Amino acid sequence: MTSTAQELHPHPTLEPGRTILELNGLEKRYPGTHALKPVHLAFKAAEIHAIVGENGAGKSTLIKLLTGVMPRTSGEVIWEGKPAALATPHEAMALGINAVHQEVVLCRHLTVAANMFLGEEESRFGILQQRAMVKDAQKIIDDLGFDLPAHVVLGDLTIGQQQLIAAARATVRGTKFLIFDEPTAYLTRKEADQLFTLIRRLKGEGVTIIYISHRMEEVFELADRVSVLRDGTLVGTRNIAETNEPELVKLMINRSIEQIYHKEHFTPGAAIVETKNLSGKGFENVSVTVRAGEIVGLYGLIGAGRSEFVTTLYGRHRKSAGQILWQGKEVQVNSEHDAIRLGMALAPESRRDQGLCLNLPVGMNLNLPIYKRISSNLLISGAKEKAEADRQIADLRIKTPTRHALASSLSGGNQQKIVIGKWLAHGAKLFIFDEPTVGVDVGTKAEIYRLFSVLLSKGAGIILISSYLPEVYELADTLHVFRRGKLVATHGFRTADHEEILTQALAEKQEKQGGQT
Amino acid sequence: MSTEVIAAEKPKRNYNALFGLTLLALLVLLWVILSVATTSFASANNISNLLRQGSMIAILAVGQTFVIITGGIDLSVGAVVGFSTVIAAMLINAGVPVFAAILITLLVGVAIGLFHGFGIVKMGLPPFIITLATLTSLRGIGLLMTNGNSISINNDAFQEFSRNSFVGVPNLFWMVILVGIPAYVFLHHSRWGRYLFSVGSNAEASRLSGVNVQRTIYMAYTLSGLCAAFVGVLLASRIGIGNPTQAEGWELQAIASSVIGGTSLFGAIGSVHGPLLGAFILATINNGANLLNVNAFWQRIITGVLIIVIVYFDGLRRRGK
Repeated sequence: MTSTAQELHPHPTLEPGRTILELNGLEKRYPGTHALKPVHLAFKAAEIHAIVGENGAGKSTLIKLLTGVMPRTSGEVIWEGKPAALATPHEAMALGINAVHQEVVLCRHLTVAANMFLGEEESRFGILQQRAMVKDAQKIIDDLGFDLPAHVVLGDLTIGQQQLIAAARATVRGTKFLIFDEPTAYLTRKEADQLFTLIRRLKGEGVTIIYISHRMEEVFELADRVSVLRDGTLVGTRNIAETNEPELVKLMINRSIEQIYHKEHFTPGAAIVETKNLSGKGFENVSVTVRAGEIVGLYGLIGAGRSEFVTTLYGRHRKSAGQILWQGKEVQVNSEHDAIRLGMALAPESRRDQGLCLNLPVGMNLNLPIYKRISSNLLISGAKEKAEADRQIADLRIKTPTRHALASSLSGGNQQKIVIGKWLAHGAKLFIFDEPTVGVDVGTKAEIYRLFSVLLSKGAGIILISSYLPEVYELADTLHVFRRGKLVATHGFRTADHEEILTQALAEKQEKQGGQT
Repeated sequence: MSTEVIAAEKPKRNYNALFGLTLLALLVLLWVILSVATTSFASANNISNLLRQGSMIAILAVGQTFVIITGGIDLSVGAVVGFSTVIAAMLINAGVPVFAAILITLLVGVAIGLFHGFGIVKMGLPPFIITLATLTSLRGIGLLMTNGNSISINNDAFQEFSRNSFVGVPNLFWMVILVGIPAYVFLHHSRWGRYLFSVGSNAEASRLSGVNVQRTIYMAYTLSGLCAAFVGVLLASRIGIGNPTQAEGWELQAIASSVIGGTSLFGAIGSVHGPLLGAFILATINNGANLLNVNAFWQRIITGVLIIVIVYFDGLRRRGK
């Protein structure tokens, strides 16, 4: 199907290795801040160029400038040897610059095909050629090797699959320069592999790829070169063959990698919660115990039943069988309200959809679980409200001008600190963290892990759900592996190696099945 | 990103107060212009009249704002007002003491609000639909109860209340204060008020934070129904009849007042003073247009233009420019 591919990706005019886009002192200032200090950087045609840096390092600003979403303050952008204004997104697209964003920005209610051709619909005499578009879209998707139907409604696909569609969409627009912003944040390993195949293939066709990610192993797997941003400054560009992870991390955060996974061991106390053969929608027969002072990690692929298990524990869904014991006594948890009253806290997976009130102030978000405590009878104590919020902001080192700033104005990492931090003041006994570091940079990760230790030292227990193996591996005292709704294996702290755990989670090989406590 | 932090560097802490002051300035400006342009505007009689006209919409707008902050809408309030005049009139004519008649009417308003909450929370109906349904059916029930006739209220004391004044200010305006102050404390200084905002901003996050989202929605619609029934009592007192077709279109005026007062129809943004000022701005425009002999048709057009202009500028400022 190479003929289709050629139609899809008109050959870039430049031969590989020549400079396609050059930044000449590109700079962005906002009132009061220097978001991007003058950057000099040349992107070569058909290279995969990774950009790494902490949240707030200026990566997003750079993308916004390159895609014409925001105007630059000063500097030059040279596109194929000619200065380009890049004043509007339209201009950037006309040049062949496109971006695939971390959060899918497509229309969930339209079909995959309609999304693929959105804005460039095929029509004859003003009538949409729906069938032809579905056919063409399917051809493109098949051609890219994605096993996805083109006629279904986009919202019916998983987030990961939607992300693949977004990537596919970006390739059909005569793209010469494609930016991926954290594309794998919500992808399963298999989906990520499909995406990498696509990226390599685009490179083979002469497209320049900018790849932004927090995941170092992806950078080393994919990229030809890597640039590091820190505090709005370009601190270095390396050929991938001539660098290593510790060097990059050091460039990014001025701190060594051992300091990230901050693990303190506490002597486990009494059991806080215990499930006995708990079953519900999406999981069955799960028995797990969480004791005071320990982190219980739940590892598995997306859809393995981990989230369903904890939301049932948290009273969102009804259990179909089994028991929940809270501090030794059997309890019925019929609503989130019951769970919170017992002393559970849940920091959900999707902070935008489930974790934050984005258009409300930071202070209000932080105090939401504790308004009952800081009100006397009906009225809220203004002084307490202020004191609690300010203390949290200081304790958690949330970067915000004041507690009145809107949550939407903060970076992803700082938003995540709110989602987690609001439970600290609440005094819960059991904390459930569902993918707490998705889309969060290394520095913020370290801070979040340090918060875990603070919670444990106060006698709380933690359930940590992660699809990122190193995270659960380095942090969990007890590690449970989920596969297809079942708890298939249990390990202690670092008692199994990555390979073994991965095999258990994937279980393509039959002989590796079965628990082995 | 740090960039976005900076975008919010000027926190909108005094935004509500500032916007309120702007609206107040607009209202005063209108009054000054009308005082100069007409001889009769500044008369005590006309001012009292203006306050009476604006008061009822103002109270409706407060209840409406609670609902809009949760991200909902209450289209039924005009119908509830009309229906409440019928209930109050029938009870008073049947010899029920005025105090009890008022109380029962208010309870009817509460019941209608609870029904809205039930429809939204338990039946999963969109607020627009359930309140649209009660809008038409309440008018119908009222017409059935009255056979399409108006009921004259035979109680002079009840009717005098709305015509009288206390320390020079019409009683109806005192009712705005009676509703407005508790409403302000409730919305801005109680945790229930905070929950209205949080539910309007992100119901899922609120639920996960232990906020009882269902109860909050029940509460918003119940308060709106209560405000509407209260206005119904006031209207019955003012016109001396119970008639289910009264207060036609008041729901739209209440929504307009709320929106002019800075409430966001997407939820999570709103205040109490804003809708009150919005209601009196609308009342002033109608009053002034009458005095200036402007064609009544023009008044509607002016109101429409005003909504667009104020909400447009409000939106500009919110985006920080």
